[in-house]
Amino acid sequence: MIYVNDLCKQFGDNKVLRNITEHIEPGEKVVIIGPSGSGKSTFLRCLNLLEQPTAGTITFDGQEITAPHTDINKVRQHMGMVFQHFNLFANLTVKQNITLAPVLTKLMTKQEAEAEAMRLLERVNLADKADAYPAQLSGGQKQRIAIVRALAMKPRVMLFDEPTSALDPEMVGEVLEVMKELAEDGMTMVVVTHEMGFAREVATRVLFMDGGGIIEQGTPAEIFTAPKEARTKDFLSKVL
Amino acid sequence: MEKMIEDLKLGFYQTFILKDNYQYFVRGIGITLQVTLFSLIFGLILGVLVAIVRSAHDQQPENRRNPILGVFDVIAKIYLTVIRGTPTMVQLLIMWFVIWAGTRSSDTNLIRCAVLTFGINSGAYVAEIVRSGIMSIDKGQMEAGRSLGLSYAQTMRRVIIPQAIKNVLPALGNEMITLLKETSIVTVIGLKDLTKGAMIIQGNTYQALVPYFAIAIIYLAMVLILTWIMGKVERRLRESDLR
Amino acid sequence: MKKLIALLLAMAMCFALLTGCGSNNSAAEANDDSNASAAAENEEAAAAENTDAEAENTDNDAVLTMGTNAAFPPYEFYDGDTIVGIDAEIAAAIAEKLGLELQIVDMDFGSIITAVQTGKIDMGMAGMTVTEERLQNVNFSTTYATGIQVVIVPEDSDITSVDDIFAKLNAGEDVLIGCQEATTGAIYASGDFGDDHVTTYPNGATAVQALTQGKLDCVIIDNQPAINFVAANEGLKILDTEYVTEDYAIAISKDNEDLLNQINAALEELIADGTVQEILDKYIVAG
Repeated sequence: MIYVNDLCKQFGDNKVLRNITEHIEPGEKVVIIGPSGSGKSTFLRCLNLLEQPTAGTITFDGQEITAPHTDINKVRQHMGMVFQHFNLFANLTVKQNITLAPVLTKLMTKQEAEAEAMRLLERVNLADKADAYPAQLSGGQKQRIAIVRALAMKPRVMLFDEPTSALDPEMVGEVLEVMKELAEDGMTMVVVTHEMGFAREVATRVLFMDGGGIIEQGTPAEIFTAPKEARTKDFLSKVL
Repeated sequence: MEKMIEDLKLGFYQTFILKDNYQYFVRGIGITLQVTLFSLIFGLILGVLVAIVRSAHDQQPENRRNPILGVFDVIAKIYLTVIRGTPTMVQLLIMWFVIWAGTRSSDTNLIRCAVLTFGINSGAYVAEIVRSGIMSIDKGQMEAGRSLGLSYAQTMRRVIIPQAIKNVLPALGNEMITLLKETSIVTVIGLKDLTKGAMIIQGNTYQALVPYFAIAIIYLAMVLILTWIMGKVERRLRESDLR
Repeated sequence: MKKLIALLLAMAMCFALLTGCGSNNSAAEANDDSNASAAAENEEAAAAENTDAEAENTDNDAVLTMGTNAAFPPYEFYDGDTIVGIDAEIAAAIAEKLGLELQIVDMDFGSIITAVQTGKIDMGMAGMTVTEERLQNVNFSTTYATGIQVVIVPEDSDITSVDDIFAKLNAGEDVLIGCQEATTGAIYASGDFGDDHVTTYPNGATAVQALTQGKLDCVIIDNQPAINFVAANEGLKILDTEYVTEDYAIAISKDNEDLLNQINAALEELIADGTVQEILDKYIVAG
């Protein structure tokens, strides 16, 4: 589904990603772990070109999205993204947050989008917040709505960039719960997270990144119980 | 004391009653409001456009800069530098006596020239105010919009600009007040605004106190009304983020 | 040459505005901004600094401050950075008679009277005409010159007399007339032709500038400056028919009868001994 070939990203002289080649299959739930500064968020943000790669190619559903004249807006409509800081549109109500993109991109009519928004809000038990503004919600509620907002575009893949890192501990559960349900429904997911429990439970594959490269990968069992690389062991010994 | 009251009475008589002099104030207020209002609208549109050009240019990734946008950005920068670096009065004199050299000195032409000058002038300040508003919006808002497949322009229009304007509303209000007061320099090109009205009465009668105090009070009242309106608008917009 | 004039004009206007504002703020500032015509010498200048606030007591001052709008040749205009002209010289002669040091402050014409009334300057001298309305707010000295308001038109203009203006207006044609702000020309023109047809400018030079650019059909202004303006700008002429005739006098605060009497006495002597006529002849050359 997503083919990453020889991907490099440089900020000035700082090489953040070094020649990453990776392939994500449909239906996979890939969890990326690693110390901060390892390049895992940058890698994720390169997948929908929020970061412009310095070199290398990314192909999504057979289309090379790093090619010069790609309509990146079209591509992104099929790739949902959830951010660490939610990034709900502060000037719009919850419902407007969800319906804005489907309507503007002509994916749905206004009525369809609103019906879909309400259906999704029911699913995350936030239907009563439809007319609230983001400033009136808790962090957990915001993140659940951010997930719903991305889902409203009916994406083929969902990218999660540390979705629980900015949450108070008691709200982490409710967000992970929504993500688990999503995984069960068969959504293709790429998740950058520090939640090792989630990785163990949901991931079909775990990537360990450090220094801008993928050091080791495998099933959760392989990575968490029998890591091969010294750096992986070192990292896991600190977080587990 | 008695003499003072007598003087004041004479002042009021000469300023307002004599030869229907109050008409100068009535017509002056009309001209001043007209110039202010149209300059404001013109300046706001121009300012927002320039702000968008400037921030769109600055927000591009380093390695993928659009050359056309680059040209517009340079023009915008020159515009900002020149307009903010020269006195409004000089701009007005140049506009009227150099650029519009051949035009007749009719009220319509004078008002048009004033609106153009003040609009262009105000646009420069509005542009920087709005740009600071755009820059103050968390870049996550833009990323969220783009990640959903919205274009830069769509995200700008539906998400960033509304928030930016709300944030800079107090500063914009200030700019409007400044503009209203600054329009008084149109007297140099002969437009009969409120200030000119008082100057004419002063020239006719050699009365200074009453006419000048009168226009000071009128300007103050107009500013207070403007402040009140801005307060209303601000409250209306604030409702959307805290209830 | 035109460009240079335009530039100087803009600068002069900005400066005039500045000094105008300054004089409204405090007497001390007016002093700082002033263009001392006769070289103000050290001890007197120092004395002027602290006594100007109470300008009524001219006797103690040793300084006579005159306010003018120095864009009105030949009555007052800049020669280099000093203000010269008929008014400046007559004022200097009066000051000499009174044993005072003359200091000239350049400001907007419209601000001169306010400055006189508020004691920021001792007298206003800028080709000012006596009118009934004005007399209620300020005292005027004996008249020292006769002013004639004339009409300047482009050489190819179809306006050949003052009556033509009336005729055109009556025929419903649009005639635009320029004047200097707060001058009697402006007052009379507004009265005769209607406000809508009269545009006033901070100084005469600007009005003439507007005329040469086709913004106006004619300019009504004092005869003497008109001669200078027509000489300096190609393609302009003065109509043979005069618009109005009037007397020029010095404006002095109503609170300062003393000074009025002193100035009148000096002025009468200067008129009697021919000094005033000499000055007039020096500046006013026929044509």
